[in-house]
Parts: sequence; C-alpha cells; structure tokens
Amino acid sequence: MSTLAVGALYAASTLVAMFSGLPIAFALGTVALVFMMLFMPASALDTVTQNVYEEIASITLLSIPLFILKGAAIGKSRAGADLYAALHTWMHRVPGGMGIANVVACALFAAMAGSSPATCSAIGSTGIPQMRARGYSPGFAAGIIAAGGTLGILLPPSITMILFAIAAEQSLGRLFLAGVGPGILLVVLFCAYAAWNYRREFRAAQALAQQGGPGSEILRVENFTWAERARMLPRVLPFLVLLIGVMVALYGGYATPSETAGLGGILALLLVAVAYGAWRPSELRSILGSSIKESTMLMFIIGMSLLYTYVMSYLHISQAAAQWIIALQLSKWPLVAVVLLFVIGLGFFLPPVSVILMTAPIILPPLKASGFDLVWFGVLMTITMELGLIHPPVGLNIFVIKNVAPDIPLKDLVYGILPFVGLIIAALVLICLVPAIATWLPNAVFGTQ
Amino acid sequence: MSLGDIPSPARRDADGTDGAHATDTTGGVAPTWLRALIRRANALMLLLSMFAIVASCVVLTASVFLRYFLHAATDWQDEVAVFLLVFVTFGSSGWVQAQRGHIGIEAFGGFLSERVNRLRWWLCDLISAAFCGFFTWKSWTLVQDAWAEGMTTSSTWAPPLWLPYGLMASGMSLLALQLLVQVLAGPGPRERSA
Repeated sequence: MSTLAVGALYAASTLVAMFSGLPIAFALGTVALVFMMLFMPASALDTVTQNVYEEIASITLLSIPLFILKGAAIGKSRAGADLYAALHTWMHRVPGGMGIANVVACALFAAMAGSSPATCSAIGSTGIPQMRARGYSPGFAAGIIAAGGTLGILLPPSITMILFAIAAEQSLGRLFLAGVGPGILLVVLFCAYAAWNYRREFRAAQALAQQGGPGSEILRVENFTWAERARMLPRVLPFLVLLIGVMVALYGGYATPSETAGLGGILALLLVAVAYGAWRPSELRSILGSSIKESTMLMFIIGMSLLYTYVMSYLHISQAAAQWIIALQLSKWPLVAVVLLFVIGLGFFLPPVSVILMTAPIILPPLKASGFDLVWFGVLMTITMELGLIHPPVGLNIFVIKNVAPDIPLKDLVYGILPFVGLIIAALVLICLVPAIATWLPNAVFGTQ
Repeated sequence: MSLGDIPSPARRDADGTDGAHATDTTGGVAPTWLRALIRRANALMLLLSMFAIVASCVVLTASVFLRYFLHAATDWQDEVAVFLLVFVTFGSSGWVQAQRGHIGIEAFGGFLSERVNRLRWWLCDLISAAFCGFFTWKSWTLVQDAWAEGMTTSSTWAPPLWLPYGLMASGMSLLALQLLVQVLAGPGPRERSA
C-alpha cells in the first residue's frame, strides 16, 4: 500500500472514530494503536507508553494545568464583574463607552484567565444585562462579549501558543510577545466598531423619540463623580498587579514560562482568597476540581495527539502530505489561505489543541519552505482559531453566551456576532499585509531572528 | 484556552458539572464492592491531585525565589513539578472519566434514535476500555523495566524513572477500571452511566 493510501486510510479511520462519539483522546489513541499493529514492527507497541510519557513530561507542556488553575481561580471569583464595573465608571463619557468598557474588560480578563469561555461567562454575565438595560440591542451586546472573549487564546499567556511553540519548535517568549500587537489591533477594531454601532443605535433611538416613539434607555445620560471613579480602582488593582507581576516575571528574565505558570497559579489563589474571601475548603475544591477536570481532559488529548502524530511521522504520512502540498507549487499567499481554510474547517469539530498538534507536521514544512516566519504564522493560526470560537454555527462562545443570556434569540446572537467575524478576518488580512504588527515586538525585545 | 480551549457544546460533556464530587452512579453487572472501591479510589486520587497541583505551583514559585534571592541551584524543581503534574494528569483521569469529562464529538447523536445512541455510547466505552487496558498493561511493563534496569532521568539530579512511570501506570489502571465498570453497566441512558 502506498504511503498516501495509508495516509488516506489513517485520515478516514480518524474521522470515523471521532464522529462515532469516542472521547477525542481515546479516538486518537485507538487509531494510532491500530495502525501501529497493522503497519509498524511489533516492537513499536512496546514503546507506546514510553512515547506518550516522554512527549507529555515536558515542563513547558505541563505548565498548561497551572495556567488553567490560574484562569479557574480568577474565573470563579467576582473579578469579571468588578473589572467591568470599574472600567465602565471611567469610560462612561466616551460614546459607546459601555461597549468599549466590556471589550477592554474582556481583554484584561482574558489575559489573566487565558480562557475564552471563562471570559465570556465572567464578563458577559454582568456586561450583557447592563448593556441591554442601557438600550444596547441584544445582538450587539452579545456580539461584543463573544468577540471580546476570543482574545483569551491570543493574549499571553496563551495555551494555544504554548502548543504551537512546541509543535513548531519556536520560542515561546517570542510567540507570546507576537500575540500582543495583534491582540491590541483586535481590541482597537472591536472598540471602534462598538463606538460606531453605538452611535448608529443612538441616532435610531433619537429619531424614534423625536417622532414621538418610546424613549430608549440608550438616550439616558449617566454620570459618575470622580470620588465614585476613585472608589472603583482598588477593586481592579490586585488583578492588574497579578497581570503585570506575571509579565514582569516572564519578560524580566526572572522566571521561565513554566515557573511563571506556577507563580501565576499561586498568586491567583492568594488573590481570590484575600480579595474575595475564597479560602474555604469547599471553594478551593471547586476551583481545583474544575482546573483538574479541564487540564486532565486537555493533557490526555495532547498526549494522544502526540502519539497520533508520531505514528503519522513513522509511516511517512505527514512527510508525504507535506511533499504533496509543496508539489502543488502554490504561490505564497494562496498557500497561507488554503492552510488557514483547512484550519477553520478542522476547528469546527476539534479543539485548538488537537488542530495544532495534528496539522503541524503537515502544514509547517511547506510554510517553512515558502520562507514564512513561523512565529508570525503561529499568530495567524491562533487568530484563525479565534474565528472558530465565534463562527456560526458551532462557535463555542455562541453557546456560552446563549447560556449567559438565554432569552436572546439565536438569530439575533448570530447577526450580532457576524460583524466581529468580519473584523477578525480584516485583522488577519492586515497582519498578512503588515507582518510587523506581530513581529515588531518580539524582534524589538529578542532581536531579529 | 484556553484552549484552549474547551470544545464546542456539539461535543459531549454529559453532566456538565465542574464540582469536585464524582457523580458515578454506574450499575449493571459490576459488583457493588468494585463500584464503591473505584469511587473511593477516584475521590482519594482527586484529593491527592488537588494537593499535587498546588504543590507544583509552590515548587516552581520557590524555584524563582531560591535562584534570585538565595542564588541556590535549582536543578530538581522542574523534575519534581513534572512528576507532580504527571500524577495530576493520570491520577485524576479515572475521576474525570466518572464525570464523563473526556469529551467527544456528538455531532450526529441528534439524528439517531435513543436506542442506537445507547448502543453507540456503550461501544465507545468498550473501545475506550480496550485502549486504556492495553495502555495500562504497557505502562506496568515500563515500570517493571525501569525498576529492573535502574533507569533514571538524564538530569544531574537523576531520580528513578519507575516513580513517574508508576504514577502513570496506577492512574491508567484506575481509568481502565472506571471504564470497565461503565462497560459492565451495559447500554443505557448516558445519565445512568455518568
């Protein structure tokens, strides 16, 4: 059987195993094991567990449970509501200030928690009712939160980027920094849209009121005194200290990424204990239990994805697929477009961790051969997976928002989110046209590669 | 992430709970004592995993302080953290399975009848149990080899490798047993075997 035929069989078996409902980790492991039995020497089966252990026992990879712990601690506290409330008091005079406050709160929370669904849930549970109470249309309010939540996998420390760094053998420090520029770009685009659409909805409400229709809440002027604004600051200070402390430890050269993860986990637990009184065993059990549940599920998928790609590589499937892509002789940009479309397609069904680990051996060699900077591509791939988080019909954030605000019809939700899908695509195009948006900061800090 | 993030709700996460209490109510032909034993073992492993994840944070944080303030060598911290996190990952896997926390794609479940779905879920458990059983067997073989050959890691600290391999093997054993109990429960509604 030719390598490509084995590869096609491998891909087909994976699809069948996945869509049968087998847990993703066991589906990948089982397919890999069956192909080892069929096409590899019997001795290979003796090293299955050693392969998985050696791949998984990496301190960089094992920092993932600690980043998840940090996110769970922050996510289970009132930090999201406090962050949003403080930003709102400071931004209420800006047109669309409440929407902008929500986007910025999402970005800051995402940087602390590193999880898109946690961000949507934490900021959305306060932000969406508040925006709706102030006359924002339900779809617009939901779109702001769904899009803001996606920043969780782009802003450092990002689990997606940790995996890309390992799969592409790139510097994690560089990748983290490369996410900052595009993260800020997305925040600016989301804020600009929030301000523009606010003005649009404001003018529509004004016109309706002038025609004698009911006055919308969006027309009401809200004021906060300086004393009120100052009172809100201590609420966010501890979390800004955590955010800045972790960044300083990482980029000040004090700690490695894994040590930063450990430090972040301890600081987050201490902060929620001190600032929110979450120190009782039941509260700690809840934080630790949810962290362990998520991280174990994720680490199993990662471990089995690595076994899966090991088999793919041993059978020369990934090499043959990569050579096939190179032989297509696509010019640079169509190659990137095809690869990203492939990633979007897979992202409909698979979590980003599997998408990265399973596709890296196939898509990275052609991209490298075409002379692309893999750090830059890592950012593009991460943003593409952000798109998958809000892209109808299966974007995870859509379902999280539906949970937070069940009375918003799905149609409104999708229409509210679509402009943000357009903005993310616009950001992707901009980063392709101006790669320095991603590469400038890492090059400035670490020097040009 | 997160995640990485977590997959879409089109995928299965049966009970949706994130609490620390296992919800295993598996019945079927599995003996009651076995179910009780696994439930207790899962609860114990979860508790130990909770301590281990916090301990790994403490070890890594201490590493930073030891290096910068006391200028002490930090050659063992990374490995200790890795061993602790290997324990967390494998040790809690049985509990996560009891919670149906190992997620899968449920895109076509809605198109099938309840009866077919029950059979499909049971077959999925059976295949998962077979895979984990094989993995467990090979894990114990690895422990035996590491013990017999006195294998150590390649660092200057050089701790014995049977230790992390043993943590992996014992966690996988519990996961395989948990799956076995779920298989023995027979085809039933997901709630019953969750």
